[in-house]
Amino acid sequence: LLLGVSGTSIEKNVTLDSATRIELSCRLDNKYSHLKSLQVIWKRGNETIRHINKTENSWSIQLRILDNSNLGSYSCTLKGEEEISAMFHLQVPTIEGKEKPIVSYEGDTAVMICKSSGYTPIAWTWYMTNGSEQIALNDSLLADKYAINKISANVTHLKILKLTKEDDGVYWCEAAFELGKSKGKLMLKVLSFMVPLKPFLAIVAEAVILVTVVFLYEIYSKKKEKHA
Amino acid sequence: MKKTIPLCNRLFWGGFSSMEQRGGERKEEELEAPAAGKSPGAEAGGWAWGVVFHFFLVNVLVMGMLKTFGIFFVAFQEEVGGSSEQVSWIGSIMSSLRFLGAPLVAVACRRLGERPTSIMGAGLVGGGCLLSTQATSVPFLCVSMGLLLGMGFACLYQAAAVMTAKRCRTRLAFSNAIARSGMGLTFLIAPFTQFLIDFYGWQGTLLIFGGIMLNLVPSSMLLRPIHTQPPQRSSGKNQDPGALTAKEDSEPLAGCLDETARGETQLCPAQDLPTTEGVTIPHGRDVSGPVNTLDSEGFEKPPVESCWPETAAEAKRSSKSLPPPAKENSQPLLDFSPLKDPVFGIFTWSFLFSHLAYFVPTFHLVARARTLGISSMDASYLVSVAGVTETVSQLLSGWVADQNWTKKYHYHVAYLLLGGVTNLLCPLATTFPLLMTYAVAFAVFCGGFMALVLPVLVDLVGVQKLHSYLGFAAFFAGIAAVGGPPLAGWLYDYTQTYVCSFLFAGACALISPLSFFFEPSAQKWKLKKANLNRGPTLG
Repeated sequence: LLLGVSGTSIEKNVTLDSATRIELSCRLDNKYSHLKSLQVIWKRGNETIRHINKTENSWSIQLRILDNSNLGSYSCTLKGEEEISAMFHLQVPTIEGKEKPIVSYEGDTAVMICKSSGYTPIAWTWYMTNGSEQIALNDSLLADKYAINKISANVTHLKILKLTKEDDGVYWCEAAFELGKSKGKLMLKVLSFMVPLKPFLAIVAEAVILVTVVFLYEIYSKKKEKHA
Repeated sequence: MKKTIPLCNRLFWGGFSSMEQRGGERKEEELEAPAAGKSPGAEAGGWAWGVVFHFFLVNVLVMGMLKTFGIFFVAFQEEVGGSSEQVSWIGSIMSSLRFLGAPLVAVACRRLGERPTSIMGAGLVGGGCLLSTQATSVPFLCVSMGLLLGMGFACLYQAAAVMTAKRCRTRLAFSNAIARSGMGLTFLIAPFTQFLIDFYGWQGTLLIFGGIMLNLVPSSMLLRPIHTQPPQRSSGKNQDPGALTAKEDSEPLAGCLDETARGETQLCPAQDLPTTEGVTIPHGRDVSGPVNTLDSEGFEKPPVESCWPETAAEAKRSSKSLPPPAKENSQPLLDFSPLKDPVFGIFTWSFLFSHLAYFVPTFHLVARARTLGISSMDASYLVSVAGVTETVSQLLSGWVADQNWTKKYHYHVAYLLLGGVTNLLCPLATTFPLLMTYAVAFAVFCGGFMALVLPVLVDLVGVQKLHSYLGFAAFFAGIAAVGGPPLAGWLYDYTQTYVCSFLFAGACALISPLSFFFEPSAQKWKLKKANLNRGPTLG
């Protein structure tokens, strides 16, 4: 049961994960009730839907969401002197990946985590983008490379062992809901050991140089003391 | 800048100009031509700035590492696994060992000297960081990061603090404050760490941190052991009006011991050895009254007694090797004498409570601001203002204390009392401006008393015994540090409001200076005991 209050153009996101009946209604704010002769149209794309005039200032539609095809954007438009519209976006739950890439090293193990907030998916699938294709990662096929663990109903882990440069790239975790699928993006960056080693060696070299300088200075000053 | 400092000035402008690659503002203008009799003294004094710089660096890096542990926390949890509680153990081991390891470090310092201990500490820290890059589980990290880093930090901190006390005689409070201001710079390290983690991952970051910590090795080498000094120099120093609270001038002895212990081919110049006996006799500890160094040390197990018989017996030898083991054994390794000293009790009591009073509000300030409805942007603004104010007030308080208008611990007590009162008034601060006023006031008083902790201890016990005292005091403070945060958290859970934490902190801050009121009577007690002991020994 959902309500939309119109003033100016409004959008609202509705998250659904399983089949349900839903009612969307547009209600006109009291300050606009002076507007007479309003024509209300509920639309989905180009298709008009029959609506029910519930009360004087609200109009609603009832929908049965059974599968993916029923999801989408529904709009109610009030045409009078001005045109006011509100949009409802019915969608499956979004999965959040990670904006920052996960950094790991060659030969090491990387763990990629995907969580679904609040809604429990039916299944999880992991994909890797190779060029322009998306390849599903099957852990039974490459058991010594990938391991997919279901930590809890809402969380999945992808463990990649023995990382190489080719594992670098974009990964997708896809959650399958009754009403559709939703993807989260993760990025993996594989570095070789040389990358941080270079600054480290530079710093160590600098420290060694300083030690030598201090040491030499001490010897020099001791010699001066001896001669003084 | 600090060029107008009266006494240290004279001693500093030795051959120090080209030594400092960084810290340009500390460069002296020109090398004073080392006049024949002056050169050892001038050289020795010139390293004091180096010691302050090293202490500053230690503060920046050690504190920075401790504070940015929170950033590593998140990375560890994700990769290495382990519950939130387990991972936070690493952080607590690291920060508590810094205090708890102090007695051990005190022993090491006295056996090996500050410089090797500090280098060892830097090595431990660097090694710990490098080892942690190979970590695969939380217990491993506990040991590699928690234990090694904690012990390393303790070594570094203790050695640097005591060396500062030994070197900067008259301007101790100010130098201490300068060094502690390094903690104020740690806020820069957090974004830097975050950047490194994003770029290199936590392992790469640890690797680079290990390298940065290794930089403490050359700066530790600045902790030169105190050279022996000709008599005129030292007596001139002690008669200086600026040095009201004269620390015991045992430099020659300390220097001698350090050099022999390190086994360097350094000169304990032969002509100085006989003079050391002559030098130390007229000097005494003003704090405890007795003039006769020999006897005042006699009842309190002199730490450098091993040097005495050696210099007397082998006056001509320029010592190159360790003194025979028998002498080392006569001095107990872990000197428990501080525990019997009432002055120590006084100091530790105050140290403990003032630490509790310091940590709890800093933890809960932001949370309290949030519960009062202040946005997190404003709350973090509070924190940064407090941080800057604290640094500035540390410097000011150090400078004021060095002016010696009154005994240092009077300032300490004053700051603590004012800080306590401020804390007790905090619950009245319910709007942002009021809370800001509270934060600034608290930071001023906190900075004030934090800067004076080391100088007050030095005033009370003198530089000689500083190692053992500081070690044990830090040990007890460590217990407070370990218990403090959980206690604060428990207070919140119990009362469901942060007001209690501030009241608790205020109470602690008010309790802590109480012990200082016993200080005069404690000194009298010690004096009496000294006279009693001296009676039978005097021939």
